[in-house]
Amino acid sequence: MEEYAIELSGVMQNRPNFKLGPLDLQIPKGFITAIVGPNGCGKSSTFGLMLDLDKPDAGSIEVLGEPLAQGIPTELKKRIGYLPEQPSSHEDGMKGTEKAAFHRFWYDGWDVNRYRELLRILEVDDNQALGKMSKGMRRKFEFAVSLAHAPELLLLDEPSSGLDPLAWKTMIEILHRYMDRGDRTILMTSHIIEEVKRLADYIVFMAQGRVLGVYEKDELFGSWFTLFVSGEELNAKKAAGMPGQCGVEHAGGTTYRITTSRAAEAEEWVAEEGLTLVSRQALELDEIMSALLLQDRLSNRLI
Amino acid sequence: MRLPIQLNEQSAEPLYHQIEVQLRALIVSGQLTEGTLLPSIRELAQQVKCSVITVKRVYSDLETEGLLRTRQGTGTYVAQVGEKERDRHRLAAVIEAMEQAVIAGKRVQCTEEEMESMFKEALSKHYE
Repeated sequence: MEEYAIELSGVMQNRPNFKLGPLDLQIPKGFITAIVGPNGCGKSSTFGLMLDLDKPDAGSIEVLGEPLAQGIPTELKKRIGYLPEQPSSHEDGMKGTEKAAFHRFWYDGWDVNRYRELLRILEVDDNQALGKMSKGMRRKFEFAVSLAHAPELLLLDEPSSGLDPLAWKTMIEILHRYMDRGDRTILMTSHIIEEVKRLADYIVFMAQGRVLGVYEKDELFGSWFTLFVSGEELNAKKAAGMPGQCGVEHAGGTTYRITTSRAAEAEEWVAEEGLTLVSRQALELDEIMSALLLQDRLSNRLI
Repeated sequence: MRLPIQLNEQSAEPLYHQIEVQLRALIVSGQLTEGTLLPSIRELAQQVKCSVITVKRVYSDLETEGLLRTRQGTGTYVAQVGEKERDRHRLAAVIEAMEQAVIAGKRVQCTEEEMESMFKEALSKHYE
């Protein structure tokens, strides 16, 4: 029943100063998946492999049901839209209209009305050299170009970098509308918490070239909480026994501040132990990420 | 269409449950009448800032309960809700809300008397 837009199995890439993988990752079709992780965690390299811009040393990749072993077929490329993290400097001398004409030639699905509409909504003038555009303007232009052929799969690498808050909001709205048909897929990377919260259905955590975990967004935010618990018998050792415990801090008196990745079970535990739940606080994405990174580092140390 | 649904991210209640309770209330109270076309899954997810997976779950739960129906390709509509059905759902939402209030009170160690007086106060505030 489950269908994937992208499947990586056992993908590895060895570089003198970076090892990517082994990656086993499935990106579900019809959803928005966001990859988050610290700088240099391998997000952009993974994008490069999915687009056949770079070859893996081991493992296999399937995009929209087609294996990339023999390179990426042109017909498949037409079904994909890609917004790279950095614009290519060799296009600096090119006018916006020229780049659009180039895309129009290659992508059968190119819809000139859609393209003009996107430029209008984003307030972009394509009649100037790409290198002359401001950073945000160029970003908006490249974004419009990546969408104008109505791709089935959209890969966005840090889509909002350089955008002002208004343009950012417009971009989010465009992406929601793009997804409304229900059969399209977005895979994106982002450092912006609010962006991930607004857009993503699934979140992939990456660090040091590996996938730490894939989570359904609402489930993730619904299970990571910081609980303030108090009880006469409570001490640090007992507090550490809370299900999903990822950090205990003394909060004065007989109250402890305990972070858990399994909030529902943890609250049952509090009740069973006869403790009092003073308050609860949901964790933000960055806090969840640092807790996961810490766990990962600790488990690596044990091996 | 924008549905008046408010989510509390800090609550222990899962998001899908919060949405389900509020949407059910809108339907059984008659605020959403039979045949009303609901926002698409992606649209509602965007409005309340949750994932489409959560909204899908809500729509399918309420469809199983007979409060919604989905027509292939056109969207999700409010179904016909019988009088009896309406009454049952109507009270269920209230009972649930009261339980939540009691839990909140217990959390800050309210006594039964305190709870009662607060309940009466709330009653007299809203019912003249």
